[in-house]
Amino acid sequence: MKSFRIAALAGVMAFTAFSSSAMAEDITIGLATAQTGGLAFADQPSLAGFKMAIDEINANGGLGGKYKVTLDVKDTRTDTAATVQAAQELVAAGVKIMITPCDADPSIAAGQISQPAQIPTLTFCGTTPTIPDAVGDYMFGTYPADNGQATLLAEYAIGKGYKNAYILKSPDSAYTLRLPEYFSEVFTKKGGTVQGEGTYTMGQQDFAAEVTKIKALSPQPDVIMTAAYEPDFPAFLKQLRGAGITAPVLGSDGIDSPTTTGLGAIADGIVHTTAGFPVEGSKLAAFYEKFKAATGAAPETVYVATGYEIPYILDAAVKAAGSVDGPALRDALANLKDVEVLTGKVTYAGTNRMPSRDITLVEIEGGARKLLLTATPAPADVPKP
Amino acid sequence: MLEVSGLKVKYGEVEAVKGISLSVPRGSIVVLLGANGAGKSSTLNAIAGLVPATGKVTFEGELLSGQPAEDIVRRGISLTPEGRRVFPSLTVAENLHLGGAAHAAGEVLKGRIEAELERFPILRERYHQKAGLLSGGEQQMLAIARSLMAAPRLLLLDEPSLGLAPLIVDKVFDLITDLRSKGLTILLVEQNAERALEVSDHGFVLQSGQVVLQGTGPELVRSDLVKQAYLSE
Amino acid sequence: MDIFLQQIINAISLGGIYALLALGLAVVFSIVSLINFAHGELMTVAGYGMFFAIAVSLPFPFALAAAVIFACAAALLTERFAFRPMRKADMTGLLLTSFAVSAILRVLFQNGISARSKAVPLPAELSGAIDLGFFHIGIVPLLSIVTTALSLWALTLFLRRTTLGKAMRAAAEDFQVLRLMGIKANRVIAVAFAVSGVLAGVAAVLWIAQRGSVDPLMGFVPVLKAFVAAVIGGLGSLSGAVAGGFALGILEVLFQAFLPEAALPFRDAFVLGFVILILIWRPDGLIPAPVSRRS
Repeated sequence: MKSFRIAALAGVMAFTAFSSSAMAEDITIGLATAQTGGLAFADQPSLAGFKMAIDEINANGGLGGKYKVTLDVKDTRTDTAATVQAAQELVAAGVKIMITPCDADPSIAAGQISQPAQIPTLTFCGTTPTIPDAVGDYMFGTYPADNGQATLLAEYAIGKGYKNAYILKSPDSAYTLRLPEYFSEVFTKKGGTVQGEGTYTMGQQDFAAEVTKIKALSPQPDVIMTAAYEPDFPAFLKQLRGAGITAPVLGSDGIDSPTTTGLGAIADGIVHTTAGFPVEGSKLAAFYEKFKAATGAAPETVYVATGYEIPYILDAAVKAAGSVDGPALRDALANLKDVEVLTGKVTYAGTNRMPSRDITLVEIEGGARKLLLTATPAPADVPKP
Repeated sequence: MLEVSGLKVKYGEVEAVKGISLSVPRGSIVVLLGANGAGKSSTLNAIAGLVPATGKVTFEGELLSGQPAEDIVRRGISLTPEGRRVFPSLTVAENLHLGGAAHAAGEVLKGRIEAELERFPILRERYHQKAGLLSGGEQQMLAIARSLMAAPRLLLLDEPSLGLAPLIVDKVFDLITDLRSKGLTILLVEQNAERALEVSDHGFVLQSGQVVLQGTGPELVRSDLVKQAYLSE
Repeated sequence: MDIFLQQIINAISLGGIYALLALGLAVVFSIVSLINFAHGELMTVAGYGMFFAIAVSLPFPFALAAAVIFACAAALLTERFAFRPMRKADMTGLLLTSFAVSAILRVLFQNGISARSKAVPLPAELSGAIDLGFFHIGIVPLLSIVTTALSLWALTLFLRRTTLGKAMRAAAEDFQVLRLMGIKANRVIAVAFAVSGVLAGVAAVLWIAQRGSVDPLMGFVPVLKAFVAAVIGGLGSLSGAVAGGFALGILEVLFQAFLPEAALPFRDAFVLGFVILILIWRPDGLIPAPVSRRS
């Protein structure tokens, strides 16, 4: 009887040891992202790409070849308080890595929960360059930052010989306010003049008053720059062209959607930044094909691709760190250099954890986009956040 | 024609009508008397289906209890509510039209409107005015005309003389007798007991939701209870 | 001068859309005391109607019809399955129901259609402008002014000439008595919702003509504007809703046009501040609803 007990006990211990060693190779990534509400347009596709990459990585042995990943996905409903709650639950559940929504406020709020727990945290596609510094050394951006996009646009405008620019901004979000301001900064530094600024309220839809003001400018601006996106951008553009103003328009990655090309002839000539453009034969084009084959629908946005890239950035960091230990992973991420992803190369070394990475400029022509250039803005030209 | 038995109406915890039974023979005028809050209006509203009630109401042998107001008027019972309640921003024409729209259409509807304008010449004069601009007496005529647009066989009249000048009150009671002479049966609720009993065949006196006395018009006029409570002598 | 004239046209065009939206709220509120915050989602449904019609290559007029039909059908369905069962609830209960309907519809759009916006391309001819020499007028503002005028005219005709229209006006004043006439309550309420759906559909077409896309959250801003407009006009008053809509549109455009640059970011604060002044001056709105003697 006694020997049976000992045998049983040994068996249980052996089983426990076995399962815990198996567990040691499994890690959980927590996602506190907005699958409903106002940010779902960005977080839903980002998550779709993210999951696909995790499946591929798991099939190849896991992150760094040895850490199989399970995902703990929580919907934050585009509510900052709900994001904090989700982050707290994920930290309590012991996740090793956390992903936050495509926006500064909830990302910073969630980061402030994960930072003291030493959990490396990445925002899906938050573009505000101040996100990492607002939180601390465990917080990372992944997407082309506002100041980088603005730099590329300003350099392009100068290169085209534009002298006078008009900018349209909205104080309602950091993105719609600061991106045009970064543009002004670089454009002025490089010899251009910002002739006027307009302000709008997000969702106001009616730009007639603004447009009438631009119409009254003399001389007419050489270029109009804005970080407005749907529904403001199409409304602005329609009313701008409806008023007979022909100045070229520069925009940011927020208008990288089918709606913009759906505007027809008035969209011709718009130049805007984006995280990546699938030219034939590119990695991105191949990924789009793969995604379509897997899900039956072509990606609606590049966020699918940028979401897909994040696990591969993590993979590179885990390989370099050799572990998923918080501080080690943080250091490995911060020192990453030239990680090849779908849309180019990503570098954290030498940055404030908002990556230095390739940004693409595209022009709309005949209802389609064409690639103008892909470049990483020189760090010296990029305005300080 | 109308048989009511054990009718009860409750508003929340308050029982306004506590088991009333009454009957209205065809071609008669029956009056419900009583002080404010005795349950007279509640009884009419319950018969018309406006307020939920328990008990049994049969009309021409058919059970009415539980049917909504929209259906009861189709069976031939029309209620002219207390306070007239014409639609003030609608014209006289529109008020009359709505009174008959659920019961007739086209030429028949036009014919009924014409008949009401014959009966109430004042409404013809005011035909395109907003009902809210009419005098109290005119509004009362309109309210009755609107009820008659449904071509009812039983008319429930709730305080038709309330707040009207004496001359107009006379007109109202003339109208009531006239309607009966044309074959309409009338169940009347009135504060003006004296006038009401003059025209009525039968009366019921209500107190606190119950029938305390009933009889023919002359019987009631002679009763001490009615004399003391409702007739000023 | 020509700038001023243009801003006036802008103001009328925007005010017209607000007027249609506020009317949609008022038609329902006047009859069932429900402030239907799901009205914005009716617009979204109309937008998806247009999107699907265009996606299956129907000619553009069919897309317009689809917008109105979808919104009308959605209004009737929400009435039948959400608001009718709550008919006995008080105003707060109805309000909460409408929030719930609105939230449920938004999640359905996000997870059933797409969280991303869908392009609703309009024919290119619509984005131009007519040049009158001394000033020009955009085709979209012009069409929206004309459409608003036609819709208001048609609604007036409906309310004045048809039995159902008269019944709706009567119901707003005294619903019980209307039932005494034998007119079915459910029918009148359903018609009120259908009318509000049609108005939402028309407003959605004009709204989308400006923005070129539909997304799950599209209805949020317009329903708020409509609510403000309806309150300015006098909640539950139809002519008040129209007046309130135009007042709000004119205020917004004029503040946007003539506020100093530095104050522009606070435009909405100025507009709402002015709205408060209006309400201090006329607490029941510009054209208050007739107070029904019983409720």
